Amino acid sequence: MATLAPPVPDAGRSPSPAAPATRRRHRGGSKAGKPGPVTYTLLTLVALVSIFPLYWTLVAGSHTNAEIAATPPPFLPNASLFDNFQAALEQAPIGKAILNSVLVAGSITVGTVLFCTLAGFAFAKLQFRGKGVLLGLVIGTMMVPTQLAVIPLFMMIAELQWVNQLQAVILPTLVSAFGVFFMRQYLISALPNELLEAGRVDGASTFRIFWSIVVPVARPAMAVLAMLTFLTAWNEFFWPLIALTTANPTVQVALAGLGSGYVPQRSVIMAGTLLGTLPVLIVFTILGKQIVGGIMQGAVKG
Amino acid sequence: MATVSFQQASRIYPKAERPAVDALDLEIADGEFLVLVGPSGCGKSTSLRMLAGLEEVDTGSIVIGDRDVTDSPPKERDIAMVFQNYALYPHMTVEENMGFALKLAGISKDERATRVREAAKILDLEPYLARRPKALSGGQRQRVAMGRAIVRNPQVFLMDEPLSNLDAKLRVQTRTQIAALQRRLGTTTVYVTHDQVEAMTMGDRVAVLKDGVLQQCDTPGELYDRPANVFVAGFIGSPAMNLVTGDAVDGGVQVGNAVLPVPREQLTRAAASNGKVTVGFRPEAVRLAGPGEGLPVRVDVVEQLGSDAFLYTSLADAPDDVLHSADLVVRTEPRSAVTTGQQLWLSTDRGAVHVFDAQTQQRVD
Ligand SMILES: Nc1ncnc2c1ncn2[C@@H]1O[C@H](COP(=O)(O)OP(=O)(O)OP(=O)(O)O)[C@@H](O)[C@H]1O
Ligand SMILES: [Mg+2]
Repeated sequence: MATLAPPVPDAGRSPSPAAPATRRRHRGGSKAGKPGPVTYTLLTLVALVSIFPLYWTLVAGSHTNAEIAATPPPFLPNASLFDNFQAALEQAPIGKAILNSVLVAGSITVGTVLFCTLAGFAFAKLQFRGKGVLLGLVIGTMMVPTQLAVIPLFMMIAELQWVNQLQAVILPTLVSAFGVFFMRQYLISALPNELLEAGRVDGASTFRIFWSIVVPVARPAMAVLAMLTFLTAWNEFFWPLIALTTANPTVQVALAGLGSGYVPQRSVIMAGTLLGTLPVLIVFTILGKQIVGGIMQGAVKG
Repeated sequence: MATVSFQQASRIYPKAERPAVDALDLEIADGEFLVLVGPSGCGKSTSLRMLAGLEEVDTGSIVIGDRDVTDSPPKERDIAMVFQNYALYPHMTVEENMGFALKLAGISKDERATRVREAAKILDLEPYLARRPKALSGGQRQRVAMGRAIVRNPQVFLMDEPLSNLDAKLRVQTRTQIAALQRRLGTTTVYVTHDQVEAMTMGDRVAVLKDGVLQQCDTPGELYDRPANVFVAGFIGSPAMNLVTGDAVDGGVQVGNAVLPVPREQLTRAAASNGKVTVGFRPEAVRLAGPGEGLPVRVDVVEQLGSDAFLYTSLADAPDDVLHSADLVVRTEPRSAVTTGQQLWLSTDRGAVHVFDAQTQQRVD
């Protein structure tokens, strides 16, 4: 169950990442809030722990099954990586799967960010009848477990003859209740009413105000939502496994078919996983900068 | 350019017991600079927002030029507004901020650039056209907000406390600049402030509001010299007018053991409701009298301002219920020899006494 996240500006200013630095300062260790060696050691440790699984995937993906099982296990990647890549690509249509996943996760991200920002703006700043009830309904849908919807959803998809087609996994997730609520919370605090009124006096229609004023202000939150949505969509397994077949899979569905045999070929699975993870890493590297930038901007403007 | 008129316009916020603006009647002439002034919460902003179309008009109507705009959205009213916090678009440069309305109006890029540049020149903003609002000082932001209004060349300027975020010195300077700019452009302007000095110095006419009700709308001079009721008398002027309420007696109003002289005819009419009369006189209309003449007072505080001095005094022998406000303020020569605790006698200039019916609070002439 998704918990209700606090609005982003608060999250951005929350003191947790800076806490070690603050504590040091109180002990009088270093000058004027500059992080000391303790901070760096802690950060390095956390970074190493977080990056290790990815590194292990690389190491395991570049050895044979037997080599991984040896004691001590190998600690450096080696050149068999490309053989394992090849094996993975032969065993499952990973190329097609990546393309499908990019399409699916991309469409879901664009749709979710667009619709959630629109709805979040409406709930945050527009006055209309039944607003409270509608918002309650939206939040209410977050409490319905996805598993409950699977059977009716599958029946609808079957009715539409969409089984094994990408729209079957795209359309049901084009908007999320969490995203609507998240954008609403952000816009309530980040978008002053005067800005909208200035827009109206300047002669802008509500739609124009949305594009020219709301979207630029909402950008940091939109980037966060985009990243979360993309990751969720990329990693989604349950519904795509039901709606698609291994002939036209997303990455997760394709990976499920990898290395299956009497003895699972772990090195091939790892190599395939690495291939399937790369696009996400790329997206994160691009958006990550935006997000940090957005949060910093909001905090400095204060 | 256009006239503006409020006709019995009222605004009742949902769930409020009384109107925030109550049957406002106001005629603003073409090219006039009208200031709306009053204490906090009196409905100044609400009135302005009703005129802008940002607030509904529950009863009555609003006319700009010869067009009834009561139900028109803001964009059809041809007005420009300067907000208290400026409300500049944070992601647009100064140039884009100023040109946004023109862009929406479908004006060509070249003309937009020309008009923005013209306005920027008037407001000394040329070096900052490419900057974002974040990178400007408070005074510069204020000027951008002004610029955004003037490039549009609208029928009416609306300004809601545009100077309240500036420091005192800049406020005085900008005050004169805005007034001069308005005279030069000749655009009808409605200006909201809670600062009566701003109101008096900038407005052609000043409308004083209290609790959503218009008290008086007149030129600054008239407002000062002939306040229509006790509220306006006490609100306009700094330090405020001295207001004393007492029983009407033969020849004047009983204040403590002394009698403030009031012309007989005025006194009779002012005392008609309940026999009590409120008398007002400004600090500068008070003279020091010889011992034993006029009102006996004790000096509590002496305030030296350099150009003049103010004595804050209280009645020497007054029972507590006599005074409207505890103090009587007197303006004297600077560096006078008066000291704290000293006993003085005050008399008022003939003809400088304002008389009000204590019951209705209305002026009696
Ligand atoms: N959106 C609103 N909903 C309900 N009541 C409101 C709303 N806006 C203002 N009011 C009330 O209406 C009255 C007038 O408010 P308004 O903002 O016009 O005052 P003002 O004269 O501009 O005061 P200030 O000098 O403090 O800005 C106040 O009593 C206020 O509480
Ligand atoms: Mg106000």
